[in-house]
Amino acid sequence: MRDRDLASTQPGKFWVCPECDLLMNRRAMPDRHEAHCPRCHSLIISSKHHSIEWTLALAIAGLILFLPANIFPILTLNTLGLSQSETIFLSVKALYDSQLYAVSALVLMSAIIVPLMKLLLMAYLSACLLFHKPAPLLAWAMRSYQQLDSWGMLEIYMLGILVSIVKLVDVADVTPGIGLYSLTGLIIVTLLTSTQLDKHRFWRRIEQLEKR
Amino acid sequence: MQHSALTHGIIICQRCEKPASIEQDKQQCPRCGTRIHRRKQHSVAYTWALLLASMIMLVPANLLPIMTFKSLGKGDPATIMQGVLQLLEHDMLGIALVVLTASIIIPVMKIIGLIILLLTIQLGWTTNMRQKMLMYHFVEWIGRWSMLDIFVVAILAAIVQLGSLASVTGNTGATAFAAAVIFTMLAANCFDTRLIWDKHLEQLEVFP
Ligand SMILES: [Zn+2]
Ligand SMILES: [Zn+2]
Repeated sequence: MRDRDLASTQPGKFWVCPECDLLMNRRAMPDRHEAHCPRCHSLIISSKHHSIEWTLALAIAGLILFLPANIFPILTLNTLGLSQSETIFLSVKALYDSQLYAVSALVLMSAIIVPLMKLLLMAYLSACLLFHKPAPLLAWAMRSYQQLDSWGMLEIYMLGILVSIVKLVDVADVTPGIGLYSLTGLIIVTLLTSTQLDKHRFWRRIEQLEKR
Repeated sequence: MQHSALTHGIIICQRCEKPASIEQDKQQCPRCGTRIHRRKQHSVAYTWALLLASMIMLVPANLLPIMTFKSLGKGDPATIMQGVLQLLEHDMLGIALVVLTASIIIPVMKIIGLIILLLTIQLGWTTNMRQKMLMYHFVEWIGRWSMLDIFVVAILAAIVQLGSLASVTGNTGATAFAAAVIFTMLAANCFDTRLIWDKHLEQLEVFP
């Protein structure tokens, strides 16, 4: 019982596994180290080297790629002198034209709005953290990023493109466009951002900045 | 001896994982502003409800057509399974397997996996805990990939618009299928893995 009281007065001295609630003593984490929970083996902490610099660079690269990935055609279909191109937005519109309004909104969210929001939030957040600039909405930005994370689905859209190419291979001639290459880059950048993001470091920095 | 943080009066913020004292239960996290709960609220009930919703949606999702491929005015609306069979007819075994896995096998496996995890909590099972955690992480990670068929419909409907020559339109089955996928993703989010370990600890205390 005394043990319980002692621990709860200084919660900051401990780590708690978010998956199984195991209580552990806090210890220093060198860069590029990972800590797994000894009980359930979930990854608790993964500290990254230059996490903030990397996420800023990647978010900017992502924002640059976002434009061509959405403007230029991803695929172009040519058959009997006719041709038709596809962009992410045109696929949203095609669902809308099929009267599938909810699905069209879902594709708009998961393939355009959420990926863009994630890049904007991360660029803003890592820029403020890198330059130690106390700014409004830092905690909100990080929270929103974490909430949006699993709802961005560009890599699944990409698999959809591959399946579509195979489905059309007998029917018509399909050629990839600049949009497809930009989208590939954008997906790689997005995946790298989530692996380089050291969320514990980000939260600690946000806490320091908000205390000023 | 392994200790659960809760029995020591420590809880953590679900969003930023900052530890707090039990007195801060139901208060806002000082760091990120999220309301802290010792365990996700109504986790078991919400997960069951969302699972049921997704199981119900899977019925129309598989019975209603999701896409119509018209070529020279010919072509009937096809369900997910008919789409897979069409791929097999064209000797595209690999891609047929990908679509079958994403659209049918994954949703069913996710539902079965979450039911096993829910029963683990409700019946107090305490065996194969690490396998169950692996299963949860797998269910959580794989869930989004079921959206594949929705994106395929979206892409084909956009690109195959050649007037009377060939055209693709989406059908209502797609809405039901998307809803089923969203419901299972939300169900996985509502599930609190700590609840299966709480039972594990209780058992440890009874049979040390
Ligand atoms: Zn753990
Ligand atoms: Zn928090």
